[in-house]
Amino acid sequence: MADALSLSDAGGGTGERGVLALLAGAAGAGALCVAGILGFLAWFSLPLLAPGQLASVLSWTWQPTSGRFGILPMTVGSLLLGSSALTLAYPLGLGLAFFAHGLGPGWAARPLTALVRLMTGVPTVVYGLASAFLLTPLLRAGFEGTSGFSWLAAMLVLALLVLPTIVLVLDGQLRLVLPGLGITAAALGLTPPQTLVRLALPLCGPGLKSAAVLGFGRAVGDTLIPLMLSGNAAQLPHSPLDSLRALTAHIGLVLATDSQSAAYGSLFACGLMLFGVSLAVNLALRGLRRSPAQATVSARPGPGLERAASALAWVSAILVPAAVCSLLGFLLLRGAPTLSPALFFCDTPALDALFRGAPVFDGLWPACLGTLWLVALASALAIPVGIAGGIHLAEFATGRAARLASFCVDLLAGVPSILMGLFGFALILLLRRSFWPSANTCLLLSALCLALLVLPYLVSATHAALAGLPQDLRLTCAALGLTRWQAVSRVLLPAARQGILGGVILAIGRAAEDTAVILLTGVVAGAGRLGTLTDKFEALPFTIYYLAAEHQTPQELDLAFGAALTLLALTLALFALARRLGAGWRPGI
Amino acid sequence: MRKPLLPTLLALILCALPAHAGELDAFAGKSGKIDIAGGTAHIPVMKEAAKRIMQKAAGIRITVAGGGSGVGVQKVGEGLVDIGNTGRALTEAEVAKYGLKSYAFAIDGVAAVVNPKNPVSALTHQQVQDIFAGKITNWKQLGGRDAAIHLYTRDEASGTREVFWEIMLKKGQIAPSANVVASNGAMKTALAGDADAVGYVSIGHIDQTIKAPLLNGVAPTQDNAKSGKYPVIRKLYMNTKGEPAGIVASFISYIQGPEGAAITASDGYIPTR
Repeated sequence: MADALSLSDAGGGTGERGVLALLAGAAGAGALCVAGILGFLAWFSLPLLAPGQLASVLSWTWQPTSGRFGILPMTVGSLLLGSSALTLAYPLGLGLAFFAHGLGPGWAARPLTALVRLMTGVPTVVYGLASAFLLTPLLRAGFEGTSGFSWLAAMLVLALLVLPTIVLVLDGQLRLVLPGLGITAAALGLTPPQTLVRLALPLCGPGLKSAAVLGFGRAVGDTLIPLMLSGNAAQLPHSPLDSLRALTAHIGLVLATDSQSAAYGSLFACGLMLFGVSLAVNLALRGLRRSPAQATVSARPGPGLERAASALAWVSAILVPAAVCSLLGFLLLRGAPTLSPALFFCDTPALDALFRGAPVFDGLWPACLGTLWLVALASALAIPVGIAGGIHLAEFATGRAARLASFCVDLLAGVPSILMGLFGFALILLLRRSFWPSANTCLLLSALCLALLVLPYLVSATHAALAGLPQDLRLTCAALGLTRWQAVSRVLLPAARQGILGGVILAIGRAAEDTAVILLTGVVAGAGRLGTLTDKFEALPFTIYYLAAEHQTPQELDLAFGAALTLLALTLALFALARRLGAGWRPGI
Repeated sequence: MRKPLLPTLLALILCALPAHAGELDAFAGKSGKIDIAGGTAHIPVMKEAAKRIMQKAAGIRITVAGGGSGVGVQKVGEGLVDIGNTGRALTEAEVAKYGLKSYAFAIDGVAAVVNPKNPVSALTHQQVQDIFAGKITNWKQLGGRDAAIHLYTRDEASGTREVFWEIMLKKGQIAPSANVVASNGAMKTALAGDADAVGYVSIGHIDQTIKAPLLNGVAPTQDNAKSGKYPVIRKLYMNTKGEPAGIVASFISYIQGPEGAAITASDGYIPTR
């Protein structure tokens, strides 16, 4: 794009140069964030380099009471969980993509695609809650000798979580490849299933691998599902029915320890491990994007391949909707009866709570308000920077700096959210010990960390929306004598606004559902009413997590299901809106 | 929730005493905030006190978070909260390092607990140690049904774990295969849903959803804990960094006072008062 625009490069005064510098600065912010997070992890891991410490951390026993801080069981746990979830989700994802592209009946393809899109909007904490009360009792009843909280439980639900990522990547690839094949395939006398399996699929080459890599990254990076379902025993599991602990869940569980102890230091080693995984995922993806699609058309005779694909498609199209519908149906069944004004306000008069700020206890209102503020603040921080960064990358950036910036944005997108939380928490401790002794975990800190989390979504969405515009538009602008900034601000941005707006809404949805970040940066179980920006706060996702684990009475558990339904309604509405605006979900291809 | 009779009566009597109706007056017209975190056994008491105080004084905002005793020490020590709760006495190192002051307000026992459907209703001290060490692995060995024992324990930040490990398990090993949950409430939830589970909770959290077998013939109740018959006990503390002042000091004396004692008792703990 930048080449096309170089025609009008000469134009523009100092004002325009200022704007362009701001845009470049925004893109640079992404790079700075990655450097900052990595720097923090490394800095706080430094004490581990003392003699003996490293060997203690890289060992197989986690027993802080006897001074043993081995994180290897958790590292293996994360890798096992991620790879097993992917192994389960990948064939199912492939099957769903097949089903939607001609191996299933035409009337079923649309609702199935809609269901997969809906799945992208389900918060992980909601999956966690529904599974903890539906899936684990089933596993307990079905298998002898397991408590239900196990590798298997976490794996099954994680597979559901990463499934839409896989399906949508494959679906996108097939949509690109299939239209060009139609006539040729028909001329060769191939049936649609043959075209799909023998021609289109091999053409998707790198896309197939990208789907796997993205799915793996998403599975390893999730915190709430392992935390709520895997049982969290710091051991190597001997069977899928055993309990295991993932790195992300480990950080959430152990952050509670003395911040000058070796246990605390070992958390940053966990953080580095996770960062390493997301770096590896990212490098793998970049490698895949460079390698050209090589069509190795499968010429083996016999109808076996089509039959197998067809069977896979049908199995997936039955299993996945059944699993999703039973989890969401269970949630609806448990949550719907709780929906009433009392769910939100308990015994406080609603008008007092709404207009006079009367405190509400045992109701969801303060958590709803907390989530709204959190999302509003995070958006205010992230949206301008994200859009500016995306504009810079799409229209102005060139050369090595551009590649570096976009690499950093991709990397930031892959950083597990618990690391953003860890970063925020460590930042506050550092500030308190240095020049700002009154700094504290609070609403503003959480919003800042959430802004970091959603920033890459905004950059990518803006970048993609602008990059998707027809090239003629840019040439016309240049021919009319518009400067580069005039072209962007008057023509290109308005043309791409729907895509950008969709990205904004997706980012808002992501900010509303994340639990891991706020877990470490200032959320509390009870506050009664909203305070100021520098106060601690309640939020819906954390309320669900907290009540699911710690409810004292059946009424409190009902509150958790009510909260889950409320959050689900909120995120689904946001995702539906984003979809209407045509942004859709853009996997990093 | 079923509560022991005596504390409930005590609570009713204390609530009924008109002389104490004015305790909340200490907060009237005051403003400011109190952040509380730490021990999960404390949460019900803290939340109820926060509710009463905030309904009385509109300018005061009290936030309550859990995390476990380790979090309580860490957060109050780092100055991230005003009151850090612990379900165990602070170590000398903790007091020296952060300059913490402790205020006990309740006595609480920690009991090994099982699902109510479990027929095992009495255990010896040795049996509990062997169960958690992973030496006894089937309920059949204890006279129950033929089913594998599902172990549940708490994370290392837990004061409940520390007391249970020191006094009940005599610092013996806890099998690494045990599921780890993050709070007393979570332990209760897990045990209530798992017929073959065993874990441990603060006695104040015991209700009809879980069952506490006799230990060496003694029922783990707050009465037996108070009289000394039941040995696995601890105090619940609020801790501050240095001397508390202002509304934080008022909050601590409110919890330690008669109305706080009534709340404490109605949540199933024995007030130290």
